[in-house]
Amino acid sequence: MTERRYRAVKNSLIPTPPFLKGGRGGISTPSATPAEQNPPSPPLRKGGAPVIQAAGITHRYGAKEVLADIGFSIHPGEKVVLLGCNGSGKSTLLKILDGLIAPTAGQFTYDGESITPARLKHPALHHRFRREVALLFQNPDAMLFNPTVYDEIAFGPRQMGLTDLDQRVRHWAAQVGVTAHLERPPFSLSGGEKQKVCLAALLALEPKVLLLDEPTAALDPRSTGWLVDFLSGLGVTTLITTHNLSLAPELGSRALVLGEDHRLIHDGDIHGLLGNMELLAAANLVHTHSHRHGGVEHRHSHVHDWQ
Amino acid sequence: MNRDRLLLCLYLAGILAATLVHDPVWLGAGLALVLLLAGGDALRLLRRALLAILAFNAIISLSYALMAWWQDISPWLTLVRLNLRVLLLTSLTFLFIARANLFRALDFSKGLTYVLGLAYSQALTFRRAHEDFRLALASRSLRRPSLMDRYRASAAAASWYLEKSLHAANQSAQALRSRGFFHD
Repeated sequence: MTERRYRAVKNSLIPTPPFLKGGRGGISTPSATPAEQNPPSPPLRKGGAPVIQAAGITHRYGAKEVLADIGFSIHPGEKVVLLGCNGSGKSTLLKILDGLIAPTAGQFTYDGESITPARLKHPALHHRFRREVALLFQNPDAMLFNPTVYDEIAFGPRQMGLTDLDQRVRHWAAQVGVTAHLERPPFSLSGGEKQKVCLAALLALEPKVLLLDEPTAALDPRSTGWLVDFLSGLGVTTLITTHNLSLAPELGSRALVLGEDHRLIHDGDIHGLLGNMELLAAANLVHTHSHRHGGVEHRHSHVHDWQ
Repeated sequence: MNRDRLLLCLYLAGILAATLVHDPVWLGAGLALVLLLAGGDALRLLRRALLAILAFNAIISLSYALMAWWQDISPWLTLVRLNLRVLLLTSLTFLFIARANLFRALDFSKGLTYVLGLAYSQALTFRRAHEDFRLALASRSLRRPSLMDRYRASAAAASWYLEKSLHAANQSAQALRSRGFFHD
């Protein structure tokens, strides 16, 4: 099935809610008033300036280098996929971009503002950055600690002091399909349901940038399909890590690739990347093994449709 | 005997001595010796050891002080002895772990090396998970988390560790049995 046809079938089967479509200004809860959606905070810069700009980011754990001289820019509304094999430094890079750990060297800016754990101690910057940039951890259990799913989704909005809390929680619970679990403790849910609750908890803050660390790693195929559709409809800047090449074009149009030497070895169109077997092999994203077709045996690098 | 095994023997002898000695002066001297051996890392070692035993020792010490008050006896000698001994044992253990390669020290026994490997991999997994739990709370907090939020996050983490430990222990036992480690 061609991609165009797949998209056509997908769209006919799963209509995207109008408020989830497009918009470079991020996402919003439909019924929230403008004042409730945007409590006072320093204004964002408009125009084509990068929302995230990283330069020379290097990070070491002790003597072990996990990121080496990483530099790139992400513009508002872009959907970028960060590819790399296990241990290439994807998760560490996301934690640096979320201001949780300071890189050993280099720096990054969010909307022109230099971000470091030290600078985030400033309350106004901290409040704004945490509201506008959200990170979904690879292990959803790390994010869930409230007594019920309702409280989990309400955790962020409560800190914003919003008046439409209940409406907001129920809206995002419905969007990700966990309304039936609102009164249940999060730890009793399945892996896929936990992932959805985490996503709802982050989206309830209406962030402008979503950093997602291997969001499909613990999902079954049905939930993965749901997530792909859901993310494609969100009008928000996303940076998603994965080592699943088959899924990458569904998650973004631009790819960043971390090599095994922890350097950025590709930054460009994702379809161009998928045709470059040499680069994919260098990044340890494809494998080679023997095939038998009838009586003929041969070897070549490839990726399976589902990894 | 390799260097690490020698250090292991010295460590075990030190542990034994610390449990047999009751005079706080000698326990204090033992602690001073450990800190001396730690050299430039002495302060960091002492800080880590104090933090590690703080909660446990505080509860035990308070309980004992209450009991002593109730029975009208002086608690000081026992409290000093107890706290010094635990601090000495903890510092000695931290110093040994920092200076010796446990895998080389235990390489005379295949069984002990297996057990150490399992324990070490669990410790690494939990250390990474602990960091994720801590960072996830920080990432989701627009302001400093309240005491209740921190309590809930800690409780959720503890519950996850327990569940993970039980699952991992079960898996490890099955894997070892499958490889013929157990002969029951």
